Amino acid sequence: MSSDFCDFVHAVILRGAPACDRYHAARVYPFLLVRKYLTSRVIPLIAVAAVALCVALVITVVSVMTGFLEMVRTSGRTLVGDVIVSRSIQGLPGYEQIIERILATPEAEAAAPIVETFGLLKMPYPFGEEKSIQTVQVWAIDPERFAKVTGFDRAIWWRPPESDAKRREMAADDPRLRLPQDLAERTKRMVGANGRPGAIMGIHVSIGNRRERDGSYRFIDPWWMPTQEVTLTLAPVSSRGRVGETRDLVLPVVNEFSSGVHQVDKNRIMIPLAEGQRLLRLNEQPLVDRDAPPLADGSYPVIGTSPARVTHIFVRAKPGVTPDALKLAVEREYDRLAFERMDLPESMGRLLPSSMISINTWEEQMADLIGPVKREREMMRILFSIIYLVCAGLVLSIFWAIVAEKTRDIGILRAVGAGRGGILAIFLQYGVVIGAVGSALGVGLAYLIVTNINSIHTALGDPAPMWSWIVAAALAAGALHACIWSAVSRDSILWALVWAVVALALGGIATALAMHKGWLMWDPRVYYFTRIPNSVDWITAGITSIGAVVFSVLGASVPAAKAADIDPVRALRYE
Amino acid sequence: MSSTVANEGGTPRDRTAGARGATTDARSAAAPASGSAHSSSLLLEAKSLHRTYRMGAVEVKVLKGASLRVQQGEWIAVLGSSGSGKSTLLHILGALDRPDPGGGSVLFRGDDIGSRGGRARDRYRRVSVGFVFQFYHLLPELSVLENTMLPARVGRGPAAWIAGRAAAHARARELLDAFGLGHRLAHRPRELSGGECQRVAIARALMNRPEVLLADEPTGNLDAHTGGEILDLLAQGHRQGLTMVMVTHDPKVAERADRVIRLVDGRVEDG
Repeated sequence: MSSDFCDFVHAVILRGAPACDRYHAARVYPFLLVRKYLTSRVIPLIAVAAVALCVALVITVVSVMTGFLEMVRTSGRTLVGDVIVSRSIQGLPGYEQIIERILATPEAEAAAPIVETFGLLKMPYPFGEEKSIQTVQVWAIDPERFAKVTGFDRAIWWRPPESDAKRREMAADDPRLRLPQDLAERTKRMVGANGRPGAIMGIHVSIGNRRERDGSYRFIDPWWMPTQEVTLTLAPVSSRGRVGETRDLVLPVVNEFSSGVHQVDKNRIMIPLAEGQRLLRLNEQPLVDRDAPPLADGSYPVIGTSPARVTHIFVRAKPGVTPDALKLAVEREYDRLAFERMDLPESMGRLLPSSMISINTWEEQMADLIGPVKREREMMRILFSIIYLVCAGLVLSIFWAIVAEKTRDIGILRAVGAGRGGILAIFLQYGVVIGAVGSALGVGLAYLIVTNINSIHTALGDPAPMWSWIVAAALAAGALHACIWSAVSRDSILWALVWAVVALALGGIATALAMHKGWLMWDPRVYYFTRIPNSVDWITAGITSIGAVVFSVLGASVPAAKAADIDPVRALRYE
Repeated sequence: MSSTVANEGGTPRDRTAGARGATTDARSAAAPASGSAHSSSLLLEAKSLHRTYRMGAVEVKVLKGASLRVQQGEWIAVLGSSGSGKSTLLHILGALDRPDPGGGSVLFRGDDIGSRGGRARDRYRRVSVGFVFQFYHLLPELSVLENTMLPARVGRGPAAWIAGRAAAHARARELLDAFGLGHRLAHRPRELSGGECQRVAIARALMNRPEVLLADEPTGNLDAHTGGEILDLLAQGHRQGLTMVMVTHDPKVAERADRVIRLVDGRVEDG
């Protein structure tokens, strides 16, 4: 093994090892020179800025994607609980007994029956005979039990001020001041002011609510839903798949809800469970024998009762119980009950085995939504990893220039006794420092962007204020003046060019600001949610930072090796 | 004067130098680490050096068997025209360059430095030799003091540097004070005149108390007056026992040396 190679190994691998005759300790001059080079040159600052921007970009993008995924997961769980037992159309007969069995397990905290269907909703607007009609997803719920499973009560939007003090804090035109005091109680029971069963609609179902940039809603008179009635039309479907005669139900709108998921808030309407069962003929029905001779009144004899049904049962797990564990418990209890009822006729409550209905965790239920988001995040992660190569390339080219510029310094250092390992160490340490400083700045920048992303988005959504483009235009004019002055008075092409570039950039900014009329980057119709996720994915931040340091060192290693190989005599003669 | 750790700490030679320095307060800042003034023992010897450079397809034979013997405490001027191989000879003597394979050898105290490995040659340059160049070759980012202390830093790890930093600092200050630069410690090379830069370069070369000073046209970039001052400085060092090999093309400069040799067509002719 050559001595030079030993030096190399020593400098790179054994750095910091205890001093001994053969392998002497790390030298201190690289630290001094790295510090001096960093603080006295502009080029390394460009490298630091490049690394910082790369790191900030990756962290910002992946953090938003991770936050989006988390929001999908969290909202999914909030909307449907932990485990969903479902059988569409025909429904689950004797659901109360199923719920009772489920709640008897140590894994279940709460369970709620739901009837899900689709219907047509006739809105109270516009004026005139022809009203707006739209399709909606209808969930018939027992509000009290549904809230225990999903936290639906937290999604209720219109709430009167809780105290006089809060009432005084509100703006005079705040619609909440007009809310009736018994609204909270009526919302719990889902009844209108006239005592009739009412509906709670998603806040984007009607056009009567306008979302403000701060996330609040203002209603458009007179179409404020809590003072209106809507007509819901449902079509019952028989167990044999036949669509029955449609039924209309006029429902006073009790309140509106905001789940945060745009698709839900735009399409879903909640009605009382009993009304949903009745409209869809899923309520308890007398069972008649049509083969028997008719009775005196023309009806057929009643031979039993067909139990009420629901299409879904949402179940919430006790704290510390995983959805998968709860799912196993629910399957077990359901199958036990199905076994007990296996001798009953289907019309009287026989249950299909769990393998023939759907029992899913919330994540499985929403797999078609979560899966693509997960894949999209991984794809973004991989695509943006290419930035590492950009980072390494930038550091390499910048360091190549630095080594060329510092060639004579390398000769001087060799003349005073520096070894090739020491020269190598200077530039590798330089790479480490640039990567580390760039990563730290990048993480800071990403933190600022991600935590303020909604404010930034809001600002981008508004037209730029007039002062902003006037200031930019004034600065552009100043830069143009400096450009002309540099060319004429200072006779400097370099500075004239620099100022010309600055003037062009500022002019471009001024034009863009003047023409900016507001830009909706995060369209809730596409991204489901009304707010952009704004928490930093610290695992990604850590991995990205380490990656940036590693790739900075890799980028620096080639110029560093070149520097170590420079012939000191040629270096001293280098001009 | 304090003369404790001009050289790398820990080696027997350094410790001897330190002990000697501690008992000889009257010695000059420029005095070498070992050897008495004008000793007649052979310190450095070049034997039939050959050095060829390839410039594209052309081979340029710069040294064609140059030989040289330098006694301890001697001041030798190597006189030659431009391109005669003076600097190449100096670089080979200082282990910055190597002769062609089989093209002669350089012995320092009888040891062939050409046969040594890279680290030993680095150590030889750091400890035994001091270089002074025509264009000073100071690091522009470092201050006068930092440039002067650079050889002491190069030889030390963090622990040794912490232990010896104060002594190195004192040594550098001593040299710079002696060279009239005590008030310029924090200045950068760009803030100094050519003569001042060269004085800093000489201080740097003497920082580790080398046994040989190798000066490549030390006055070549200076006016006559300033050049004279630099030669006075070198002469002062020589009087205090410093062995010097100085390359120049100026006969007047060469006159200041004990002995002048001429390098003609890659070979040495004694003057």
